[in-house]
Amino acid sequence: MSTARRIPPDHGLSVRMFMTGLMMVILYGVVIGVLIAVGINFAVVLVFAGIILFVQYWFSDKIALFGMHGRIVTPEQAPQLHGVIDRLCAMADMKKPRVAIADVDMPNAFATGRSPKSAVVCATTGLMRRLDEPELEAVLSHELSHVAHRDVAIMTIASFLGMVAGLVTRVMLWTGLIGGFGGGGRGGGGGNRGGQGNVVLIEMGVLLVSIIVYAISFLLTMALSRYRELAADRSGALLTGRPSALASALVKVTGEISRIPTRDLRSAESFNAFFFTPAIAKNGVSLSTLFSTHPSLDKRLAQLSRIEAELGRPS
Amino acid sequence: MGLFDTLLGRTKPVPSNLDALFALPSASITLQSAAGMTCSGRAGVCYKPPSGQGFEDMEAEVVKLLDMDGSTLRKVSDSFSYQWVVVEDADIEALVTQVHMVNSSLADAGWGPQLLCSVFGLSKLGAGDAGHAVGVVEAGEAASHPTSATGGDVLPATLPPAAGDALPETTVGPGTVRPSTAYLVYLFKRGTFYPFVPVGPEKRDTEEELRLRSLVSDDLEVEPDLDRWFPLWDLPVG
Repeated sequence: MSTARRIPPDHGLSVRMFMTGLMMVILYGVVIGVLIAVGINFAVVLVFAGIILFVQYWFSDKIALFGMHGRIVTPEQAPQLHGVIDRLCAMADMKKPRVAIADVDMPNAFATGRSPKSAVVCATTGLMRRLDEPELEAVLSHELSHVAHRDVAIMTIASFLGMVAGLVTRVMLWTGLIGGFGGGGRGGGGGNRGGQGNVVLIEMGVLLVSIIVYAISFLLTMALSRYRELAADRSGALLTGRPSALASALVKVTGEISRIPTRDLRSAESFNAFFFTPAIAKNGVSLSTLFSTHPSLDKRLAQLSRIEAELGRPS
Repeated sequence: MGLFDTLLGRTKPVPSNLDALFALPSASITLQSAAGMTCSGRAGVCYKPPSGQGFEDMEAEVVKLLDMDGSTLRKVSDSFSYQWVVVEDADIEALVTQVHMVNSSLADAGWGPQLLCSVFGLSKLGAGDAGHAVGVVEAGEAASHPTSATGGDVLPATLPPAAGDALPETTVGPGTVRPSTAYLVYLFKRGTFYPFVPVGPEKRDTEEELRLRSLVSDDLEVEPDLDRWFPLWDLPVG
């Protein structure tokens, strides 16, 4: 029995994702080294960051559902939605996540949850209203791919570095404001001018490093997020075997979002990382590609049409 | 899915496991004695047709092959846009072979990941049927076939053309094709079965399903995770 893949794997995407992850790991190491070298009580920072991270990760499903006004629905309440997800999960041989619906007119969908076992897939009523069956199925397939790839866990870990750097930055600023620069400082007032000058310099140095690290890790996290989105697009399209349905859904949803009054979108922008498509107002703030959690529409459509071409090849 | 695949965001398409289908005839015999049920002679293969000419060509070939064998088959599209190939054959082993053939053709052409499930219909034996191993058994094949005398619910129209005109009630043969009241669903990606008993639109008899599970679990590999026993409303298998 042949288990050959009909679609060749996209090595380029995997390599780029790997390199991004690798750079983040290297950055981790650099930061830890620097912090230990200047003797900051790294343990405190780490514990604090760890607790926040853990809470955010552990309750990611409840947080996301709460923020998006989603509620879990039973198969009796939403038989069609459950039916589509049932079959997709059977095709993908994955555990079926909980299903939620958000009573929001903005068309979008998201997947959340700390692991495939405690995952939730949510679609908005706006999405279900606007898309037809194959398109809705394609979007759900994209979200299920996020669950299967454990993207919530991965992006949480990836953003950990940024958060630590951000925390250190803030701790440094706070220390500087209260007692540090040029004043009483460490180890009692007065004392060696030169010594104090050195301490200030070191503090400034750490601050600078923290800011730079935060900026770099932010950019890397965004890049990783974009690659994960492309990977979910790809897996979702391969699962349904209809990449054009996903492409059509993308075009529809992106088009609709740009027509929604700006106020609604701004409240959703903070949840961009979770979404199928970023909730960005066209007339509002225009984010450069580097800062975006999602790849551009053109890039996504290009990948999908490549997959469609592969499928169209005669056997 | 391996850790490396997860980290890189690649989903491996899950291959299907077809050989477990051949356990069905023995399960059918068990069901006959334990529950007074037997295979109804109807089965369907469900798959998600991907876009592209490659698949369409292969699908047409499979249909042609089955037609040449003289099987009755029809292609139906269901409300979720999945495609069904429904076959009918009173002989359970021939039925299983046909179903296996459809599936392995798809899998060999590289479309294994598109297969969702296969469904085999079950129906109750008529009141006078229990325990009959009836005559006019086709040459050579003796007790291994779950033959049944026709009770009140024979469906002459569904037999292959060779049966000719409507069968009188007492005619016996190597089984007949009847409407199904319950189903055994085979999940390819898991290689397991689960029973499905729909009663009315979007309602299922879970108690009966669990009872059937206990009856066939010796012969078939039953899906242990009850969450995966998803309902198939609007089954075209009939």
